[in-house]
Amino acid sequence: MRRHRKIKELTNLQFALVLTIPVVIFLITIIIYPLVYSLWVSFHEITFFGGFNTKFVGLKNYKDIFESQKFWHSLIVSFRFTVESVVLTMLIGLGIALALSRTFPGRKIIRSLVILPWAVSYYGSGMMFKYLWRGGTGLPTALAYIFGFDARINILGERTVIEALAIGNAWNLAPLVAFFLLANIETIPLRLYDMAEIDHMGPFRRFYYVTLPYLRFTLFVFTAICSVFSLKLFDFIFVQTGGGPGMASATLTYQIYKESFTNLNLGYGAAMSFYLLVLILIMTFTLYFVWGRREE
Amino acid sequence: MKKSSVITTIIVILVLLWTLIPMYWFMKMAFELPVDISAFPPHFYPKRPTITSLLNVLGFSYTTRSGEIFIPSGGVNFVQALVNSFVLATSVTIITMLVVLPLSYTFGRLEFKHKNMLLFAIILSVALPPVSVMIPFYIIFTKVGLAGTLIGLIIVTLTITIPFVTWMLIGFFRNLPQVERLARIDGYSRFGAFVKIVIPMGKIGVVIGAIISFLFAWNEYTFALVMVNGTPAATMPPAISGFLFVVPEPGHLTASIIYSLIPPFIVVYLLQKHITKMNIVEPLEG
Repeated sequence: MRRHRKIKELTNLQFALVLTIPVVIFLITIIIYPLVYSLWVSFHEITFFGGFNTKFVGLKNYKDIFESQKFWHSLIVSFRFTVESVVLTMLIGLGIALALSRTFPGRKIIRSLVILPWAVSYYGSGMMFKYLWRGGTGLPTALAYIFGFDARINILGERTVIEALAIGNAWNLAPLVAFFLLANIETIPLRLYDMAEIDHMGPFRRFYYVTLPYLRFTLFVFTAICSVFSLKLFDFIFVQTGGGPGMASATLTYQIYKESFTNLNLGYGAAMSFYLLVLILIMTFTLYFVWGRREE
Repeated sequence: MKKSSVITTIIVILVLLWTLIPMYWFMKMAFELPVDISAFPPHFYPKRPTITSLLNVLGFSYTTRSGEIFIPSGGVNFVQALVNSFVLATSVTIITMLVVLPLSYTFGRLEFKHKNMLLFAIILSVALPPVSVMIPFYIIFTKVGLAGTLIGLIIVTLTITIPFVTWMLIGFFRNLPQVERLARIDGYSRFGAFVKIVIPMGKIGVVIGAIISFLFAWNEYTFALVMVNGTPAATMPPAISGFLFVVPEPGHLTASIIYSLIPPFIVVYLLQKHITKMNIVEPLEG
């Protein structure tokens, strides 16, 4: 016996709902709920001693943070680290992409070597650079010794620690940027380069007038992504310097970690993380309105 | 012509040095004895190459030719951590893909009300710093007893992988050709068209999404540090950093990091051609 089933048509919205309602419920529990709870925590003082206690303090946490010198110091550290990281990452990423876009023997092997840093975890590379920069075990010390200086050169000292961290961060991020730029470069029609040849363009003008226009949108997107990544970065810095020496590399994320999980001042930490979130949003939107809007 | 190929060679060598020196300088320590690691000035290569540390972290002791015995360190159980990391990464990958596939499909290929607002919510959660995500979970988990367990860690890790992979796959699904209508003519239901036609077509994207969530969970440090550090559920990253902070043993530290890098290196090597096919560039358009 054959049964005739009547297939009901679903609208797009209905189908979307059927497909995603379980997922949306899941998302609400693991993303929206914590976010709202976090906001609630930021208006409270949480104590763990003698049981779990909460006390409503209103905007006190936000006000305290705004008046604390540590916060402004961390803000500057975060900002300096982010700007340096992004500039280095984009320049090095672009450099790698341009180098790999040429033809040379062993190109395939070199390509797969160059992408490797991207696979190294942040805590792993944090430790790598710790041993690379430090006075006792570092490469600079070993090199200095060869040239006849008997000195421990510690790059992770107070004055250069942020730059050292930014270089390490760029080491991790640049390969990814490079590979996306490389994919873009390979879509540029070759005849444009032939025409540039006819016009007797030098390598710099050829880069500026032929290559660059194809890369601008990707450059913008990765500038935005790298800014967000760098502002969010925690484990790399924690493993490498622990915010030190002193407070020299205490970024906002490090400060949030310390306040929340070392001092167990969770309300204060939560409030600070909302400052950081606002900072990330401001930075992304500024980038979009100043640069990204023109690229679309 | 000659001149430009010389320049190319120089640049390529510079790129290689930039890539390899930090890794080399660190990894050479895995093949040195503790005495040589702390030598001053630091050596450029292992003077007496040995696999002591590589065996020690796996729990074997090693006797050098001169009769010295090196026993595994008691402070860190690396093998247990390796197992934990594997369980974590596998569960996170499976759950992430179950959630992400329908979600990114609906966002990538269907039009409905409030779509852009919902998309913005997803992107907002990509922007959240992991340290901030931790605070509410830390409180909830201490209350319900999930702190220090793998299940707790799995839940927190999902808060990062799900939005991120969704964000990547939306653009990917959008760029597939419009095949649903043809599939419907062939008698597939909407759901059938999604499962039997669209997912197989987007195989590369699905695989890359799964691998990214696996690698993320495999490499995740911040959550693990706060949630499971010092408990039996400790995953590899906090366990490894025990070699740095608790018992400073650079040789063991390096050896365990070398092990932890094997899966990511294999994956990246196999995938490097396809990585750029992920259209993470334009999920918000249209």
